[in-house]
Amino acid sequence: MKQSLRLSVPALAAVLASGPLAFSQEKTEGPATSSLGAQYEAIVNIECNSVEADYQTPWNPATPGGGTGTGFLIGPNLFMTNAHVVSDASRLSIRKVGDPTPYRAKVKFIAHDCDLAILELLKPAKAFENVKPLVLGNEVPKLDTTVKVIGFPIGGERISVTRGVVSRVDYQGYTHSGVDQHLAIQIDAAINPGNSGGPVLQDGAVIGVAFQGYSGDVAQNTGYMIPVPVMKRFLKDVEDGSYDRYVDLSIAHFEILNPAQRKALKLPDDDAGVLVSNVDGDGSCWNLLNPGDVLLAIDGHTIESNGSIDIDGEQMEMAEVVERKFAGDKLKLRVWRGGKQEEVEITLKNTEHYLMAAHKYEQRPQYVTFAGLVFQPMDSPLMAAHSPTNLRTRYYFQYFSNDALYKQRPQPVIFTSVLPDSINAYAREFTGQIVDEINGVKILRLKDADEALKKDPEGGFITVKLLGEGRPIVFDKTAAATAQKRIMAKYGVDEPSYIE
Amino acid sequence: MSFRCLLTAALAGLLFTFPASAQDAKPTPDKSMMRVNITSQGHHFQLPWQKMNPGTRRGLGALLPGNRVLVTAELAQDAIYVELELASSGRKLVSKVEAVDYELNLATIVPAADPGDFFNGMMPLEIDSKLKPKATLSVWQFENNGEPVTSPIELHRADIGGYFLEEQFFLIYQANGAVQYRAGTFTLPVVHDGKLAGMLIRYNSRDQVADLIPPQMIDRFLNDAALPPYEGIPNFGSKTGQTLDPQLRKFLKLDGIEGGLLVTAVTPGFSAELSGVKEGDVLLEINGNKLDSRGYYNDPELGLLASSHLLRGGAKVGDTVKLKIFRDGKPMDLDCKMLRRNPSDYLVDPYMFDRGPRYLILGGLLFQELTLNYLQLAGREWRERAPFRLLYAQTNQDEFLKQGRKKLVFLSGVLPAPGTVGYERLRQLIVTKVNDKPINDIKDLAEALKAPIDGIHKIEFNDHPKLIHVDAAQAEQDNKEFLPARYRINKLQRLE
Repeated sequence: MKQSLRLSVPALAAVLASGPLAFSQEKTEGPATSSLGAQYEAIVNIECNSVEADYQTPWNPATPGGGTGTGFLIGPNLFMTNAHVVSDASRLSIRKVGDPTPYRAKVKFIAHDCDLAILELLKPAKAFENVKPLVLGNEVPKLDTTVKVIGFPIGGERISVTRGVVSRVDYQGYTHSGVDQHLAIQIDAAINPGNSGGPVLQDGAVIGVAFQGYSGDVAQNTGYMIPVPVMKRFLKDVEDGSYDRYVDLSIAHFEILNPAQRKALKLPDDDAGVLVSNVDGDGSCWNLLNPGDVLLAIDGHTIESNGSIDIDGEQMEMAEVVERKFAGDKLKLRVWRGGKQEEVEITLKNTEHYLMAAHKYEQRPQYVTFAGLVFQPMDSPLMAAHSPTNLRTRYYFQYFSNDALYKQRPQPVIFTSVLPDSINAYAREFTGQIVDEINGVKILRLKDADEALKKDPEGGFITVKLLGEGRPIVFDKTAAATAQKRIMAKYGVDEPSYIE
Repeated sequence: MSFRCLLTAALAGLLFTFPASAQDAKPTPDKSMMRVNITSQGHHFQLPWQKMNPGTRRGLGALLPGNRVLVTAELAQDAIYVELELASSGRKLVSKVEAVDYELNLATIVPAADPGDFFNGMMPLEIDSKLKPKATLSVWQFENNGEPVTSPIELHRADIGGYFLEEQFFLIYQANGAVQYRAGTFTLPVVHDGKLAGMLIRYNSRDQVADLIPPQMIDRFLNDAALPPYEGIPNFGSKTGQTLDPQLRKFLKLDGIEGGLLVTAVTPGFSAELSGVKEGDVLLEINGNKLDSRGYYNDPELGLLASSHLLRGGAKVGDTVKLKIFRDGKPMDLDCKMLRRNPSDYLVDPYMFDRGPRYLILGGLLFQELTLNYLQLAGREWRERAPFRLLYAQTNQDEFLKQGRKKLVFLSGVLPAPGTVGYERLRQLIVTKVNDKPINDIKDLAEALKAPIDGIHKIEFNDHPKLIHVDAAQAEQDNKEFLPARYRINKLQRLE
């Protein structure tokens, strides 16, 4: 639904082409920085040199890249910005307005699920000693109130200020992870690449972090910022020294708008409740809720038939209750089951398997090579790099969570590609499929493949069976052993495998 | 512009036509070929209660004995109104499709009533069953004004290739030569020595290669059609792989044995499985013809051909095909009785013409049986873009058949009606149960809907939202009043 959303951080290439270098000679003199208000001193330009992992040739070192964004001082030597500004960073530099010195920084905390990060200077810098951190606002701003966006977007080198009004407060997909939805605030101020991570101010306090927008050909004058509740949750989560991600009910629900639905479920005629349609086999509600149950209330808030609840007089999605909680928190649910009300208490947690479809960062690609065959664990960057067309492979990826496929195969292993050699001349047509067995051993994780290939098989053959494919890939054991070294040398593969 | 057209037409006429009077004994285009005008109207697979816009196509047919005209099935698909037309006089005769085989891409057209003197002076074509390589054939066409045009092509080789439908491969003849297309027709009769030598179904103008349906396939179609019921082409029911890989051959213990095709999957309930063929077997010979490791055999007359010919186009329903297979290191003989798998025997009909999909509307909920035509509504890239669950079911049909399903019934969409409030966004959901009864085809659904539970229909899907309820009385009322009044839908189901 939000496919056209794009991240507002530019690639380094784009910055070089249209940014500081291209325009530096024609630049006109702007106002002296000293005339800017004190709060601008706390807003910094972040340059991120990053490395991009290569999932097509996973043994290769990563490709250098990078981009720039904005951040702001929130405490001594600490800056807040977007996760997407500093993801996969190899080197981070922070620049203050009017000060050409780059100050080296590192990522202290990063939350990919809500696109926030906290950076810390490697060494305390004098330049920031007397700068006052920005103050965090208290709440979600009202519709049609004015806000200011400050940052270092494309179009020049100096700090930029744009102004707009709050247009909408709603749940939005956060494109950085690709799988998360949280509260976001839409504003009509221009937010452009480079603005990312910059503060959005109202009455002198930060009420949001600019983070994403649409590309111009989809919608204009729509920028999005991460609101205070999301920022506060992040700050609270990291108080214990690590970030533990959002928790989730991990259920799917369906609105009960049809009177027949209500009648069949013998529900009172009061417009309350949503139907549980799916319960994640690894999530907070497993074994506590069942499909066909009706959720009547969450944490004491009555759930309307469209899934909304009332918090302090505001209509919110029921997920909002969970949004503010942490792993291990308990939550009371009122459930309608078999014509009766029941109270259910759940302990909130998050699941690993839903990250299958998420974008991955700070991850070194894992692989196993054998006789020129490359095996890699299924995840989102792998699917993007190899675009397998095999329908079963696509099914496993798309329905991994929904159909609880993780229970059968926690980490599906894909035969992704072939480094051509005489030994594997007939294996090429089978790429893009899931590995079922190697030498009779079920392959549930990449580690299984590595171990199975290292064992000496009976009968002189190494057999690789692919899921749903009747033709096994077969190698002569001795020939494969010599081919392995030859192929690695020829194709520059230093390590036969990398497994975390 | 019009002058130039005229000039080329005249020139072609000069080069290729021969006057009808010169050789009365021999069939000529104007005596043995006629125009066929077919108005067709396909069914709408998204809105199954209605038909598509009608359209008319013109083609050429070869006149056969018995006032029967041979055309391609592609031309005759979904025919509503058929005319035969004499090229010389433009005289028309109301006709009808007599027999059609969409897999073989052939159809016969016969007069709808007594033709009177319509065929007087015409000369039917016999089928040439003795074609030899290098034979010079003649592609027959008409100019707009009815003048015959013939183009010589030389028979080059035989091959197995696609006819019309996807994944239907049969014997084709390839011929080389320049063919100038006239009056945009679908298929052209090809003649050799006054006899029908094939139907041209494809022409590559850059390489000047023509693909023909060869005479033996035409012959088998006509023979089959002459003795009802029409049997069609049998199916073997297996997937196979090549055995070129020396390591695989060693693994399969094929040392000292030549060729062979590895059976990689067997469809339950069909010819291969019933005759005892198993996954992992290696097919060595079919009717004494040795298969090479690519799966080709050397046909004594036609040369190297894909062995699928021996199991499909070259076999008849009911034939016993002798198989030599290799299993567990030993060769073994099997007799395989060839059965046919009709489109309706598939979970998802692989093609559907002349009729619409089975469907049922319940107060605005539109249930359908899945067809390939439905998936193809996603456009040319339907294999990428069709609704995933349905596409997956189509690709892995055998898994669903093993579960006892006959057809895949799914909720294709919802027409907003008083009784469907809250369900408007549901679409493309596979139905598992209705009123607690498993649904294996649309008739099961119709039957299950006769027994609502306490006045409410309980409908279960394989995916979110999994369970919905519909008030039975409200649905019936909406079927009777709302849908006819607001959507002008009067035909609420097609179960046959």
